[in-house]
Amino acid sequence: MIKVTNLSKTFISHTKEPGLKGSLKALIKREKKSKLALKSVDLEIQQGEIIGLIGANGAGKTTLVKILSGIVHPTSGEATVLGFKPWERHNEYRRQMSLIMGQKAQVWWDLPAMDSFILLKEIYQIPEKIFTDNVEFLAETLMVKNHLTTQVRKLSLGERMKIELMAALLHRPKVIFLDEPTIGLDLSAQRAVREFIKSYQKEFKPITILTSHYMEDIKELCPRIVIMKEGEFVYDGTLSQIQRLLGEEKSLSVTTKEKKFTISVPRSELSKKTAELFSTNEVLDLNIQDPSIEDIIESIMRNGMTNR
Amino acid sequence: MNWWRFVVANEFRKILAFRSDFWVTFIGQTVVMVLIARALWQSIFEANGTEVMEGFTLPMMTLYYIIVPLANKIMTGENVGFLSREIYDGSFNRYLIYPISFFQYKILTYLTHSVFFSVQLILIFCVFNLIVGHGLSVELLINLFFGIFIFLCAACVYCMLAMSVELISLWADNVWSLMVMIRFFVFFFGGSYLPLDFFPSWANALLKFTPFPHLISLPIRTTMGLATTTEIVTGLGSLFVWGIIFTMTAKKMWAAGEHRYNGVGI
Repeated sequence: MIKVTNLSKTFISHTKEPGLKGSLKALIKREKKSKLALKSVDLEIQQGEIIGLIGANGAGKTTLVKILSGIVHPTSGEATVLGFKPWERHNEYRRQMSLIMGQKAQVWWDLPAMDSFILLKEIYQIPEKIFTDNVEFLAETLMVKNHLTTQVRKLSLGERMKIELMAALLHRPKVIFLDEPTIGLDLSAQRAVREFIKSYQKEFKPITILTSHYMEDIKELCPRIVIMKEGEFVYDGTLSQIQRLLGEEKSLSVTTKEKKFTISVPRSELSKKTAELFSTNEVLDLNIQDPSIEDIIESIMRNGMTNR
Repeated sequence: MNWWRFVVANEFRKILAFRSDFWVTFIGQTVVMVLIARALWQSIFEANGTEVMEGFTLPMMTLYYIIVPLANKIMTGENVGFLSREIYDGSFNRYLIYPISFFQYKILTYLTHSVFFSVQLILIFCVFNLIVGHGLSVELLINLFFGIFIFLCAACVYCMLAMSVELISLWADNVWSLMVMIRFFVFFFGGSYLPLDFFPSWANALLKFTPFPHLISLPIRTTMGLATTTEIVTGLGSLFVWGIIFTMTAKKMWAAGEHRYNGVGI
């Protein structure tokens, strides 16, 4: 289980004015800037759960994943994963955890995947039989059997991602952090990766935290979502709950002579707002529908739950 | 600790993954260095009208400069930036995620490169002696064996020195120029550019208190059979002490800096 209490993280960086003058000035004196990437967040995830962590760029998703995977230390607060403080980096914890980064290769670039797997087998102390079975199962499910002896750098992006997934799951982790696993993949590769994660989750029931900008990933894989905005959780619940909660709104797509735009209107004000639109604009087309989950989430990410 | 074996094997595979690079490193660089050194020192010997300079004959000087480029490579193992580059681009994350000590992993990969260059040195040293007609006497092979042993000890010490400096990248993003500067100092005061016998005696007396001569000059002199037993024993003792100092420095640097690591690059 994952338990996070009052977790905060502040990053310190240096600022520099643009241009040559700024560069010269920075040689003598640099301005420090601190950014509160996580603001006292609380979270609990049970074994077997998969949650989708979503938010705009810089919302704090990756910072949370970095802390829970033990890469960075928090500034304050507590977090335990499987009973361990991740940043203490106990080998016993690291043997049960995996982090997959869509934008960062973890397998060795210049070697065939199988060479990396053999090294990982030793690092994670995976017994021979389990290792062979896992490689067989994962390679077959991900359809990469033919690529195991090719240098990783020579594989396509989709194939590389599948190899990364294999490498991360060889030791059957109990906790998996998936940081944008489908980024940059074409539609069929995205679907394949999603299907694989779904079947893996069903079979082995790890705790999985998925961050993704693709709503399709979230809709397909995560019954529970956590929406982050500027380092805080603005929503923690199920997808269906969010739709019910915000289902009191209608989405109006309007086309006038001058422009096209979409607005959200409370159901109770629908006729009033529509009349207002017709009286103030030369409306060419009007489409009234329930807002899509993407619209709702985008709106929450922009405005939070209360200011919508 | 079985993973050690596999890390070493993987690192060898990485070195051998690029054929052209392998051959260029193996033969190309050595041949070029030898030709330049030979031509340069031949003209210096001729200009001075002498056959021996500071105890070195021309064939000895040639052998010295055959060993120097490989000595530099054995000592410096992986390239400059083997740690700072990974901290800078975030690929360092993997060592924090895997259930192993990153110190052990990095030292192993570093030393694998040193061992690889040692093999090159053994081959080239033997070929040179066969070509000049010295043959491969037992004495020569014993010197070579002890030389390689000291080279590898020096590589361990330099690895810890390099690690201490590279860990500065936890505070300052770029330590490339600092590493290059330190490398220059080590090469210069270690005897890579000019044998230390050509340095004034007061400089040699001072350098004994630094790790530099023990990192390059001592193993080269041992390989060539020029070092005395006392020189070897005190040199190894000095390397041991410096090794402890640099290891403790690297550990302290990591303890102080790891809180600053922010895994940029994810």
